[in-house]
Amino acid sequence: MALYLVKRLAAAAVTAILASLIVFVLVRSVPGDVVAQMLGQTSDPTAERALREFFGLDRPMYRQYLNWLSSVLAGDLGVSWTRGHPVWQMIRDALFVTLQVGFMTLLVGTLVGVPLGVIAGIYEGRWLDRFIQSFNLIGLAAPVFWVGLMLLVGVSSLFGWSPPLLYVPPSQSLSENLAILALPIVSLGLLQAAAYSQFVRQNVVSAFHQDYVRTAIAKGVPTRIVFFRHILRNIGIPLVTFMGLILIQILGGTVIIESLFALPGLGRLLLSSIEARDYPVLQGGLLVVVLIAMTVNLAVDLLYRVIDPRVRLT
Amino acid sequence: MTTIVHPSAKLQVSPVGLMQRLKREPDLVIGIVLLVAVAMVALFPSLFAGQSPLSINIDKALEPPSAAHLFGTDDVGRDVFARVIHGARVTLSICAGALIISAIAGGGLGLISGFAGGRGDLLLGRVVDVILSFPPVILGIMVTGILGPKTINLVFALATVYMPVFFRIARSGALSEVGQTYVEAARSIGLAEHRILFRHVLRNVMPLILVQYVILFPLVLQIQAALGFLGLGVQPPTPDWGAILQQSKDYIVLAPWMSAFPGLAILVSALALMLVGRALQRRLDRR
Repeated sequence: MALYLVKRLAAAAVTAILASLIVFVLVRSVPGDVVAQMLGQTSDPTAERALREFFGLDRPMYRQYLNWLSSVLAGDLGVSWTRGHPVWQMIRDALFVTLQVGFMTLLVGTLVGVPLGVIAGIYEGRWLDRFIQSFNLIGLAAPVFWVGLMLLVGVSSLFGWSPPLLYVPPSQSLSENLAILALPIVSLGLLQAAAYSQFVRQNVVSAFHQDYVRTAIAKGVPTRIVFFRHILRNIGIPLVTFMGLILIQILGGTVIIESLFALPGLGRLLLSSIEARDYPVLQGGLLVVVLIAMTVNLAVDLLYRVIDPRVRLT
Repeated sequence: MTTIVHPSAKLQVSPVGLMQRLKREPDLVIGIVLLVAVAMVALFPSLFAGQSPLSINIDKALEPPSAAHLFGTDDVGRDVFARVIHGARVTLSICAGALIISAIAGGGLGLISGFAGGRGDLLLGRVVDVILSFPPVILGIMVTGILGPKTINLVFALATVYMPVFFRIARSGALSEVGQTYVEAARSIGLAEHRILFRHVLRNVMPLILVQYVILFPLVLQIQAALGFLGLGVQPPTPDWGAILQQSKDYIVLAPWMSAFPGLAILVSALALMLVGRALQRRLDRR
């Protein structure tokens, strides 16, 4: 296990360095840089040269990359070129919003999706199963932001309520914070519940067709016990893997939902820093996103080995 | 020279009636019916919508659905029904084109990479891993940000996002084919490597790529709509479902019909593709 861990971490480190290079190149490919944005229509060659020198844009590309990489490795993401704040602080604040939405979505999705999938699996082929499957399909086919828009119309016309426009952190007022996040979380959660439910149903159905389950049922073990003792235990492993996938998907989904509900999350930060050509923020933000995704994947792999002893042997 | 194809590679088509099929695979039949309907709308929009999707009539702005305007009118008095109907071709052709590019480029690279193996394969695999660790929407935003908000750029952005998926599928397909006896046999009779690859291996990997194409289509549709919604896709006044949603979000409480119908169009198209995709995947799994 220790050797495996070292190997995996080394591979992850290589991938992370490669990711940083890709991020750097991607960011520098956005046409027009911060200097052009700042100067606008005026073209003053002296000012332009001075600004370029100030931001270090006059140095060769590989030097810029190595400088950035070495300060990132030292834990310094730099300072925003347009807002003057430390990049890490901006990312941390935005990440908090995104992660709050993400984890609450995961919670809603799991609490709704897993039981639905289990029920559909147990009642395979019957009307309840068909009903849940239809919900799953519609949930997966509907665009997240459209569901958000429709929910907005729905609650405002039914209850005359619309969410507050300005984001409030939970430390300031938890109830207001939740009021703002309710609709984004429900719209994202619905999609995740559908994905979860479909996945769980598939696993429950295939578990029911396994020999050991058939044997247990044949010898008269009550379905309830078969379910909790045998089936649930076996769908745990694929569920963990799936959760990792879902987490990364939620990360992407929040970006759109954030722009719809005006939440100051990571997606909005990335979008605004693309517009401003704020390289340090953009590079830092993208790197954080990729690192989160990689960490989730690694965690899933490791958890997998802990849960399933068979994997450890291979 | 005849081509060697797995007997199982052909999808079995048994001569059963539509009713029988409806009973056995209702989702496939519903999916196909919906898909044909969507395709008809995309191919012949003028048959369904008599009014122009672009003609502005300020006097009739923000009218709710009525007999004259089935889906109501938008903020400058354009017929929403006509915009949704004409948007089908714009939206779906962008998705289809993007997926074709990524299937050819990603699938082709994956096929060669898996077949050839070696260091190149290792390096490409790493790069693909990194690209796959970006959430698709964020990668799409980055690439459209780099290229600028134009329709053709949107196609390339979507193609980039899904290229790694095709790469992986084709690579794993090629890897499992390389060990087959027929490849060995072809090599032993002195067939050139590229001929083995493109004549025989490709034939057997093709079903995987085609099924993946259908399965990915609804996902691409969602990302395409999301990018359009963020203003990064098709620019006004061209009717595109995502772009219509972007323009109508400011009127969401005042004129919800402006948003409801384009979203519904995305939902129905994605649903049709998902139903067909699932049925195809089932057949592939049965092999």
